[in-house]
Amino acid sequence: MSVTLTIDGRGVTVRSGTTIWEAARGAGIAIPTLCHDPGLEPVGVCRMCAVEVEGARVMAASCVRLAEPGMVVRTASEKIERCRAMLTELLMSEQPDVSAKERTTADDELHALARRYGVRPRLRRGAARPRDDSSPVIEVDHQACILCDRCIRACNDVQHNDVIGRTGKGYRARIAFDLDQGMGDSTCVSCGECVAACPTGALVNKPISAPLRPRAELAAIDTVCPYCGVGCALTYHVDEAANRVVFAEGRESPGSRGRLCVKGRYGFDYVSHPHRLTRPLIRIDYPKRALSSEVESSRRERRKPGGIVDYDEVMPAFREASWDEALDLVASRLREIRDRSGSGALAGFGSAKCSNEEAYLFQKLVRAVFGTNNVDHCTRLCHASSVAALLQMIGSGAVTTTYGDVENSDVVLITGSNTTSNHPVAATFFKDAARRGTKLIVVDPRHSGIADHAWRFCRIRSGTDVAFYNGLMRVIIEEGLTDADYIAEHTTGFEEIERAVKAYTPERVSGICGVPAALLREVAIAYGEARAAITFWGMGMSQHVHGTDNCRCIISLALMTGNVGRPGTGLHPLRGQNNVQGASDAGLIPMSYPGYQPVTSEAARARFEAAWDAKLDPQTGLTSVEIIEAARDGVVKGMYMLGENPFLSEPNVNEVRKGLAALEFLVVQDIFLTETAEFADVVLPATSALEKTGTYTNTDRRVQIGRPALAPPGEARLDWEIICEISTRMGYPMQYDSASEIFDEVVSLTDSHSGLRHDNLGATGKLYPCPNPEESDGTVVMFGDGFPTGDGRARFVAAEHSGADELPDAEYPFILVTGRVLEHWHTGVMTRRSRALSALVPEAFAEVHPEDCERLALEEDGFVRVRSRRGEVTLRVRKSVDTQPGSVFIPFHFREAAANVLTTDKLDPDGKIPEFKFCAVRLETADL
Amino acid sequence: MNAIEELNALQESRGWLSEEDLRALSRRTRIPLYELEGISSFYPHFRRTPPRPLRVGACRDLSCHLRDGGRARRQLASLCAGRDDVEFEEISCPGLCDAAPASLVNGVPAAPEDVARYVEDPSSAPREETVPAPRRWQTDPYAGPEDHYGELRARVESRDFDGAIARIADSGLRGMGGAGFPVGRKWELVRSEPATPKYVVCNADESEPAAFKDRVILEELPHLVIEGTALGALAVGAEAGWVYIRHEYRRSRQALQRAIDDAYRRGVLGENVCGSGLRFDLRVFVSPGGYVLGEETALLEALEGRRGEPRNKPPFPGACGLRGQPTLINNVESFAQVPRVLRTGRADLKFFSVSGDVRNAGVVEVPLGTRVREVVERCGGMRDGKELLAFLPGGASTAFLPADRADVALDWEPLAAAGSALGAGAIVIVGAGADLLDLAGNLTAFFREESCGKCVPCRIGTEKAVVLIERREEKGLGLLPELNEALLETSLCGLGQVALTPVLSVLEHFPIGNDGSRR
Repeated sequence: MSVTLTIDGRGVTVRSGTTIWEAARGAGIAIPTLCHDPGLEPVGVCRMCAVEVEGARVMAASCVRLAEPGMVVRTASEKIERCRAMLTELLMSEQPDVSAKERTTADDELHALARRYGVRPRLRRGAARPRDDSSPVIEVDHQACILCDRCIRACNDVQHNDVIGRTGKGYRARIAFDLDQGMGDSTCVSCGECVAACPTGALVNKPISAPLRPRAELAAIDTVCPYCGVGCALTYHVDEAANRVVFAEGRESPGSRGRLCVKGRYGFDYVSHPHRLTRPLIRIDYPKRALSSEVESSRRERRKPGGIVDYDEVMPAFREASWDEALDLVASRLREIRDRSGSGALAGFGSAKCSNEEAYLFQKLVRAVFGTNNVDHCTRLCHASSVAALLQMIGSGAVTTTYGDVENSDVVLITGSNTTSNHPVAATFFKDAARRGTKLIVVDPRHSGIADHAWRFCRIRSGTDVAFYNGLMRVIIEEGLTDADYIAEHTTGFEEIERAVKAYTPERVSGICGVPAALLREVAIAYGEARAAITFWGMGMSQHVHGTDNCRCIISLALMTGNVGRPGTGLHPLRGQNNVQGASDAGLIPMSYPGYQPVTSEAARARFEAAWDAKLDPQTGLTSVEIIEAARDGVVKGMYMLGENPFLSEPNVNEVRKGLAALEFLVVQDIFLTETAEFADVVLPATSALEKTGTYTNTDRRVQIGRPALAPPGEARLDWEIICEISTRMGYPMQYDSASEIFDEVVSLTDSHSGLRHDNLGATGKLYPCPNPEESDGTVVMFGDGFPTGDGRARFVAAEHSGADELPDAEYPFILVTGRVLEHWHTGVMTRRSRALSALVPEAFAEVHPEDCERLALEEDGFVRVRSRRGEVTLRVRKSVDTQPGSVFIPFHFREAAANVLTTDKLDPDGKIPEFKFCAVRLETADL
Repeated sequence: MNAIEELNALQESRGWLSEEDLRALSRRTRIPLYELEGISSFYPHFRRTPPRPLRVGACRDLSCHLRDGGRARRQLASLCAGRDDVEFEEISCPGLCDAAPASLVNGVPAAPEDVARYVEDPSSAPREETVPAPRRWQTDPYAGPEDHYGELRARVESRDFDGAIARIADSGLRGMGGAGFPVGRKWELVRSEPATPKYVVCNADESEPAAFKDRVILEELPHLVIEGTALGALAVGAEAGWVYIRHEYRRSRQALQRAIDDAYRRGVLGENVCGSGLRFDLRVFVSPGGYVLGEETALLEALEGRRGEPRNKPPFPGACGLRGQPTLINNVESFAQVPRVLRTGRADLKFFSVSGDVRNAGVVEVPLGTRVREVVERCGGMRDGKELLAFLPGGASTAFLPADRADVALDWEPLAAAGSALGAGAIVIVGAGADLLDLAGNLTAFFREESCGKCVPCRIGTEKAVVLIERREEKGLGLLPELNEALLETSLCGLGQVALTPVLSVLEHFPIGNDGSRR
């Protein structure tokens, strides 16, 4: 239905439900406003957009007044201008002398209106209102606040962090955080959405790595966030003379829709940290040993409670070298090991932080030049088991739909995912859905932030996922809630599941999982009855010795209810790294070439041998944990490590230390001297994501271009160039002019990407497969008409509950669960060098239930020694009811108390993923 | 329970809202902390500090101000000063203008001379108010309790609600809350809305300075309020309703609740209204306080458990009210008039709250069109033999008229023609000697205090106006018309739109004195 009205004498036709403000904007008439932002629900509180409506008693706020047929509107008149000037004058009479926004980015919207209306101070200045400096990233000046409520809506309606509201009433009303705490003392998660929304100097960013400057004086670089797999589109505002990012802003995209989290918005300054490597380094300190005390031993006395590596301690072991010298040394040593001990003596770890182009070239180097498939990266540590199960059952390892597709679901299963910390922006869409009444079922041993938004939260015991989902499936079958047509048309092997889940009665499952049988039934029925159910999962599912089984169960659940292949349905393992999807797509895994073409397939091998003009190894290579073990055992002798830090990210650090120390030759290519680099013979200074062009594929399969915002420091070189140099010096010339040219080669060998080019990815990338990139954003929902399996059908695979590898006992009575926190990333190499992020969470901690604390006499902020059969760490205690009694949660970002000193390196037999989410530990009070 | 009900329950059990309790409440209910903060800081009823044994409140608003309330407040304040078992606060008009200057002890009205005694011995403070015996009012068409609800009974029997609405419309009955919207038309609009369920709300949040007629109606004629509300509900097709009553009206609440209980017992309310098979449930919702809650959409926000900030209109509550459903909202008196209107077809009586410089302030029931001069006489004439200087015919949101207009008929059109309004039927009589600029400033200050703060013009404009009036500089006062234009044209609700009406009328009608006063 459309509505025709008259605005300023012109006939305007708009869709019914359009506001006057929108209608005017569509007609090219700009009506001033302060409280309105087209991305937020209009509230009509600033009244600046008031217009005259013929026949009305008083003027109307056009941002909230809907257009009506025949309405006659005037958007400008002497009276309107007088009123707007008066409103501006009222607001200005309450402002501080200096607007923090004018002082910084110089884009204060109120001051712009004051200039427009020539406001002179005629009214007495209002009473002073406080400033709040408690947040490390945001400066709050209540005096400058005009109560437009934009921050409130940004916080509560966009990010659903539910922190900001109004306190008080009338003239004394203010915005407030929680129960009127300081912002930094509240539950604020520093996403900065409020700052992005604020039109005045009330909420402004604090400087991160350079003084804030007027927006107009800065270069705006549209690129992609370097952190997680959500792949938020953002813009860096860069001071080119200083070569610094001044601030970051979310950028409109069909995926992230302009939202960012604390890491994306405030965590970019690591790239400008003085620790950046700027020249190649060659080791002079032999025999090789760990250099920093934290890396040398977890038992050594710690000098300080937290912090990054002390370069004074480690740098004397190296000397600076020229690129030529360093590259020649690398090439000759690797070649020498290969020629002496065979290709199998070499291995490479690439990185999911690097681009598709870099991942592709790296695996090409290892396969075509090293001559081995011993190439892997941290996907092994995150979703290897998910991918194994997906490939086995539906023939594709990528997500079947996007996180944004949740808006079409009526039931959402989120399991083993601390979404609000690890995929914060994806979580905002889940929270949107929950707000709209979509039923969120959260299954997790730990009460993470997303559980606060759950319709039902099932707090299962750690490691009992298979039993839980078998129980769920049994109820669904029993209640007749399976989709028989779907099963018949699109699957095989359903009988196997029917048989397998029979024994999992809700009562028995309740006993295993610790979840009431009635709750199990209730969520099973909700999922079974859903019109469209979607499943998101994280590492709580995958990082177990039965991780593949866990994933098989949720895949079976989706298949038996027909919840794949339609809008709002699907399987979505939330990918961790910004490019873990892309790195795997590009073949940075030991079992397949780009596009998941198995190395064991004759046809695939022939294709790549032809394309690369090289003889390729027909054997599947070793996976990451296996490579470290092989190094320890002397089988792997030489390694090329590009951007990975296995010393902190692999399980059982004490064994990793042995493995790294045993290598004859290790070259590490990175932007900082990592813990792993302490064992390097050569360290090559690389470029960060902010300094180069490349594509990154997010969790949705969205291939996006990252663009350089900064010049690399010193002599640091592009990663793909370094790979080419090493390859060429090893006798296999690699020659590319640009990342774009490399991408074309990737696409030529990866059918799912066909048609994509750097120049058609556009501002916000494309979801592959994307047959028509000039016209379309790509494919959201996959497999509506069958699966990429031999027979086009998905295959059910049953699983039995088996339990964790190392169960608690009298000596080690606690379950250790490792994970991450919102503010940090992986081994902390980046985030601990970010001023804001490290200020927010400066050091390691162990989360322990208050009851356990009481029993063990552990004090909040006191120290606890956590000991496993493999090692021990000492760190601060944080009491929290989020962790179950009998469990302890430790984030693995912190080198001074590396959680992976404790973890077990037992692997899932299919995914080869270690069991990071379960091992037995004991807790003791400790002094430090 | 919504957030307000949760906070009410928490405060009921703990006496106040501690941070610890609020955090526990948030964890249990998942109501975010910011909402609890927003609500508990918005409504005066909620306390974030532990209460002291004796709490003294003194009214600062117009009718009390006129009766030397300033001095009374200062005396009470000094009486309470230095006592850690006594707290004193200035409060907005509690609707006790007939007992001006009004004060409350632990929420119970108390004469200032008694307060001293209670402060001396807090244990002697009264817990309950005494309810005076109801008087006989012409608006009540019934001879005695046994006849009550006769019109309702007749209508449910005949099912002729269209006829009822037509009769109300024909009578010319207009809304008595202030805006004067025709009652019959409002009912018709809500009746014709297709969406269900529908709701009905009786607005008993009378909080405008000098207005207290609804209090008396609730205390003495609660059955008429219930009957009118039930008739409205059945006429529009609502099965549930609320009486939204200000928390200070404890006596009214008791009387109303007793009458509601009685109506349920008699089968007048509930699942089978008067044996008709129609359902109507009526509950009392106690407002956590604030004048702005009388604004119908702010009231709805409060009923839904949020800060009482008015909504942008349209949509109007008749189409999109409580929980987004069609909602009929009428004032206490509007509903109370309905039985007589249905019986007689006439809507010619009006209740007025009369306060200020009259001998016997109180509620009078007179025919519409009665002259102000006659009302003054009904109230025993001018106090202390003062000359009439000016009067406020409709309450805080209407314009002052000078004494030479005292023959104006108290009715909608004549008052509008005279440059003022019938408003909420709150007449304030001002005798010679008063400084009208001071009185208007007092009213402006009331609007500033009671502004919800949602929209810019009202939130800041009322504050700036108070300052300009206090400073009394010609130049500053000269800004008021311009400020008034912005408030009138752009404020989100009626509160801001009318906030400067009284002061502008004073500047218009009354000459400036040597001391800057207006007399």
